[in-house]
Amino acid sequence: MANYAVATVIVLSIILIGLLLIRPSITAAQGGKIVAFIAFFILPIVATVLGASIHLENSKSTQFCLSCHVMGPYGKSLFRDDPTYVPAAHFQNNRIPKDQACFTCHTHYTMFGDLNSKMRGLQHLYAYYLKPIPNKVQLYKPFENRECLHCHAGARSFEETTPHKEMKEQLTDNQMSCLTCHNKIHDVANIDKAKQWKGPGT
Amino acid sequence: MTDDASRLQRKLKTAAYLLITGLVVEGISLYWSHPMSFLVFIVLGGILLTAGIVTYLIAIVTH
Repeated sequence: MANYAVATVIVLSIILIGLLLIRPSITAAQGGKIVAFIAFFILPIVATVLGASIHLENSKSTQFCLSCHVMGPYGKSLFRDDPTYVPAAHFQNNRIPKDQACFTCHTHYTMFGDLNSKMRGLQHLYAYYLKPIPNKVQLYKPFENRECLHCHAGARSFEETTPHKEMKEQLTDNQMSCLTCHNKIHDVANIDKAKQWKGPGT
Repeated sequence: MTDDASRLQRKLKTAAYLLITGLVVEGISLYWSHPMSFLVFIVLGGILLTAGIVTYLIAIVTH
């Protein structure tokens, strides 16, 4: 829908600019000057603002993240046929939206979290194209419990189960990482040996 | 057509070509799902559009 809106703005702008190119005399009249201002100034700015927000939204998609081949094994790990692995269990049981699987856990749930994530994304591009890709891809910072608690805090399965109940404060204050116990994450080193789930959409 | 008017037309033409190219680049990048597409949108499209808008503004201010 948003893509159509920006496409309409772009096409309208091109048509008006083309018209003014073919018939420059239009700009001699007052109305022509206004049309020129809209075509040369307003519409390109609107197209850029709308386009940038669409790009930001697109960059949250699983398909977008996995379009870099270095991310391929991480995508595969979502289909590991073992519910003890955190990403696979979340992805296969719809605990996270399938079309935003990476972003849902790897964003920062803070005021400018989305923007921060995108800035880190630009760092990824820099690393991908201009630096040698490391053998082991690592997070820039340790994974924050906040990203897990964004969904799990308040859920009965978290609040009323042992040992979450007993160590809630430690988890909330990030004194102890969720990953201390839930430590089966992507494990891409062994991904080719793992059994894969052949569910819908695989 | 006076010199002044033809200079204005020339600047408007330059602005028009820059803007059309920038808009086409931005449009194409929106249908390209790849991490590079955002860079193409913002760097290439953005530079072309900024150049086009600035050329247009200079043209109307100096006319």
